[in-house]
Amino acid sequence: MTLERFAALAEAYGGDVARWPQGEREGAAQLMAAEPAQVRDILARADDLDAALAAYSPPRVATGLVDRIVAGAPRPPAPRPFGWLVPAGMGAGLAAACAAGMVLGARLSTPPVQDPDSIVAAVSDEDVGAYFDEEA
Amino acid sequence: MGDPDEELLSRVAAGDPAAVRALVARKLPRLLSLAGRMLGDGQEAEDVAQDAFIRVWKQAPKWRPGVAKFDTWLHRVALNLCYDRLRRRREIAFAEPPERADEGPGPDRGLMALDTGARVAVAMAALPDRQREAIVLCHYQELGNIEAAAVMGVSVEALESLLGRGRRALRAALGDLKEGRHDP
Repeated sequence: MTLERFAALAEAYGGDVARWPQGEREGAAQLMAAEPAQVRDILARADDLDAALAAYSPPRVATGLVDRIVAGAPRPPAPRPFGWLVPAGMGAGLAAACAAGMVLGARLSTPPVQDPDSIVAAVSDEDVGAYFDEEA
Repeated sequence: MGDPDEELLSRVAAGDPAAVRALVARKLPRLLSLAGRMLGDGQEAEDVAQDAFIRVWKQAPKWRPGVAKFDTWLHRVALNLCYDRLRRRREIAFAEPPERADEGPGPDRGLMALDTGARVAVAMAALPDRQREAIVLCHYQELGNIEAAAVMGVSVEALESLLGRGRRALRAALGDLKEGRHDP
C-alpha cells in the first residue's frame, strides 16, 4: 500500500484502522511497520476529526415517543367470541371431521400449484424493491 | 450471512407485544441517530422515526427473508423520509425567500463560540446532503463500506470519495481542531 492510498483511506474512514475495509487492513499494517512516523501523522490528523465527530450526540428520545410508535404495531389475533363455550369434545370432533374432509378432498381433486414464485409474489410488497431502486 | 432481525420481525408480524417493544428498543436509537444527524433537528428526527416504524409495521407481515437485510432496508426507508423533508425545506426556502440577504452567522462563522458538538452539528448541516449521508452511515451508524454503498445506491469507490470530500469539508469548517488535541 502506498502512503497516498493510506492517506485516502484515513481521510475516508478515519484514524481507527480497525474500522477500515477488511481488505485494506493487512496492507495498512505493513505500511505502519515500514513508515511509522509518516503514518502516525496521517492517523493523528484523522483522529482529531474523529474526536470532534464523536462530540456530536444524537437527540434524546422524547417522552411518549416509544408509546406512540408501539401503538401502531400489529396486534395479536383477537380471540374468537364465545370460543370458551365450545366443549372440548365438540372441538375434537370438529377437528376429526375436518381432517377426514381434507384427506377426501386431497384424493378427489387436483392439488393446487404451489409455485414458489407465485407464493412470494402473493406476499411481497413493492416497497422492498422500491427503496433500493430509487436514487436518492 | 443471517439477518439478526429476521426472527424478531416474524414475531412482530404475529402481533407479539414483547417483540414489538424489543424491535423498537433495538432500532429507535439508530433511527434517531440517523435522522437527527441528517436533518439536524430532534423533533423532525422523531417524526421520521415514527413514520419509519409505520412502514415497518406494514412491511413486517410481508417481509421476505433473504431478500434484503432488515437494517439496511430500514436505513433506506429512513433516509428517503429524511430526503422528503430536506426537499420540502428547499421548496419552502425557494418559494419564500428572505426579504433581505441573511447576514447572520453562516455555517463557518461564529463556530468558535460554540462547543465542539454544536460546532460539528453546524458543520454537518452545511455539507452537501450526499456527503453528510455518507459520513452519517459510516461514522455514526457504523455500517461497513459495502453496506453503506448499497444503502446509498453507489459504488464503494464513490462512497469513499463522498466520505473523503465530506471529512475534508468538515476539517476546513472546524479549522482549530489541533488546539483540542493533547499529544503525550
